[in-house]
Amino acid sequence: MLYALMGLGLSLITGVLNIPNFAHGALFAVGAYLLVSTVNVIGNFWLALLIAPLGVALLGLIIEYAGIRRLYSAGHDYQLLFTFGLALILSEAIIIVWGPVGYSHLPPPILRGGLDLGFTFYPKYRLFVMVVAGLLVAATWLFLEKTRYGAIMRAGIENKEMVSLLGIDIHKLFTVAFALGAYLAGIAGALTAPIRGLSPQMGVDMLGIAFVVVALGGLGNLLGAIAAGLLIGVAQAVVAAYWTEASTAVIFAVMAAVLLVRPQGLFGIR
Amino acid sequence: MSNSKRRKILKLGAATAALGFPAIIRAQPKEIVMLGIWPATGAFADVGPILDRGMKMALDERNMRILGRPIRYIVRDSATQAGAATRRVEEAVDGEGAKFVIGPWSSGVALAVSEVAKRKKVFHIFSGGTEDISGARCHRYSFQWAASPYTAAKTVVDNFMKANPKAKRWHLLVADYAFGWSVEKYIKEVGKTHGLEFVGADRHPLGEREFSNYVQKAAANRPDAVAMINFGLDAVSGAREIFNFGLTPKVPLIMTWSSGVEELVQLAPEIRENIWVGSNFYYTADTPVAKEFVKSYQGKFGSPPGYAPSAAYSMTRLTLAAMDKSKTGEVQDVVKAMEGIEVNDLLGRMRVDPATHQTIRPYFFMRCKPKSAMKHPMDFADIIATGDAPLPKEYAACKDIGGF
Repeated sequence: MLYALMGLGLSLITGVLNIPNFAHGALFAVGAYLLVSTVNVIGNFWLALLIAPLGVALLGLIIEYAGIRRLYSAGHDYQLLFTFGLALILSEAIIIVWGPVGYSHLPPPILRGGLDLGFTFYPKYRLFVMVVAGLLVAATWLFLEKTRYGAIMRAGIENKEMVSLLGIDIHKLFTVAFALGAYLAGIAGALTAPIRGLSPQMGVDMLGIAFVVVALGGLGNLLGAIAAGLLIGVAQAVVAAYWTEASTAVIFAVMAAVLLVRPQGLFGIR
Repeated sequence: MSNSKRRKILKLGAATAALGFPAIIRAQPKEIVMLGIWPATGAFADVGPILDRGMKMALDERNMRILGRPIRYIVRDSATQAGAATRRVEEAVDGEGAKFVIGPWSSGVALAVSEVAKRKKVFHIFSGGTEDISGARCHRYSFQWAASPYTAAKTVVDNFMKANPKAKRWHLLVADYAFGWSVEKYIKEVGKTHGLEFVGADRHPLGEREFSNYVQKAAANRPDAVAMINFGLDAVSGAREIFNFGLTPKVPLIMTWSSGVEELVQLAPEIRENIWVGSNFYYTADTPVAKEFVKSYQGKFGSPPGYAPSAAYSMTRLTLAAMDKSKTGEVQDVVKAMEGIEVNDLLGRMRVDPATHQTIRPYFFMRCKPKSAMKHPMDFADIIATGDAPLPKEYAACKDIGGF
């Protein structure tokens, strides 16, 4: 579900803004660090889980408004370089603010420990993450499918010029899409912090997986991103049960296999 | 053309050639060039800077001089990749005149660097878990500072079983490269003497961050103890996941070959509860050199040193001691001086076996403290035992160290 969440955010940005956001992994890491800092300040995990991703969304909003927007006329390559540079800047900023040494953050006491499900053991916190991520994916999906702004966003992915000609502020649409994508990366990072701990490079692994999800689902295809995220997660879990060593490799094997048959991805049309 | 004009042109030509070949100018015959091949990028990028600190501290103690000659310390990034590391070592040897190579930090990469040392006939010392440097692939130019995997396994298994005699069912999580294989082999060998049953042994790739699949399998086996044979962020990620699954603190976790401080500081005190740690160094080691080093390191960097900076520091001191003993500083003389050298240094009594180039030295076994017993945030563990049992002859794979 976390993969779907990350893939959905990245797919939204890729689809609407038509740029591969290389800073998506760094935004994921910022979400994790903001969660821990917020918990340290207010002492409440649940409230911090609400606040931290909003901080990342605000950061996304600033990045789009102050940076990417100024490069729309400069061409695709410049936007790509900008997000790549931004990823490095954010990683270094994490080192400056929070230090180079990683650390652990415990789940709230009620979610610590594992559950014996009869056929397997599973950590309570991971079950919680699964449910929350599922709800977030569903909520995002409903927003995009059932609301007017969601429809505008989907139209923006299909044809930006047409949306612009209809009198809709396309720049505002870009800003909102980037902020929403950043929010999804931020909350994925915040939810992941107690599972994987925190380190300045924590976004790098997740960025790779997020791009696999986007490519597998079809560039800019939101339903595809959700389906691909779930597919990869299930494939990884199934392979891990029988051949643990191959559980990481299977992510890329699935992508390669699908792209060989459908170069446009599972649900892609371009 | 007049003579004076010709001389001017020759001088200009010489100056141009000198500018064009700065390496030749820099590699003065009197200076001793030491290379630290440390990971600045890649899987152990977090460790590279602290390895550099340790080596610098040892060199600074000598005011960057040895045998009346200046030492030039150069650093290259091993990137934890055999190809990059060997290329950079070769360039440093050929272009910078490096004759003494210390590092890198990964066993697999070190074995490749060791081959370069053999071919280029330069001194090489390394600290890591592979037994091959002082075993099957031993040769005259490479030395091993870390305890033999056998010494580590024997110290860990014997002392853990002494404290937990009923914990007979072990599940292993092993890093899938040279270091992991070596330590796993001896954990199983020593385990036989205690009647251990290994209910599972999963191997994971270097740089693994998602341990839930491995821990799920470990939990399903219902072991009495889980032993990890991995290192750095792999070990931290594994320990965190084992706690998340609720195995620790009920089931003891053994970090067989840990960096100590650098790993333990990344784990919350609750996660550290009932963790048992084997390491090549722990900062409360009770030797005069360790006490002085720890004090100086803490003064400079604000935290106690773990295995990595201590290994770099001690390897450099050992190399410098061999240079002193050689009286010439020439590579082959230093190698001869190093063979059989005995020092009372960072870890106490340390001796280099001339037959295998393995350093015979103590290995540390600690138990992490519960949060309530910690006197300060860095008070992670108590040393409960040390062991220095050398590799028995029947296991020794280095039959002939060879010539120059």
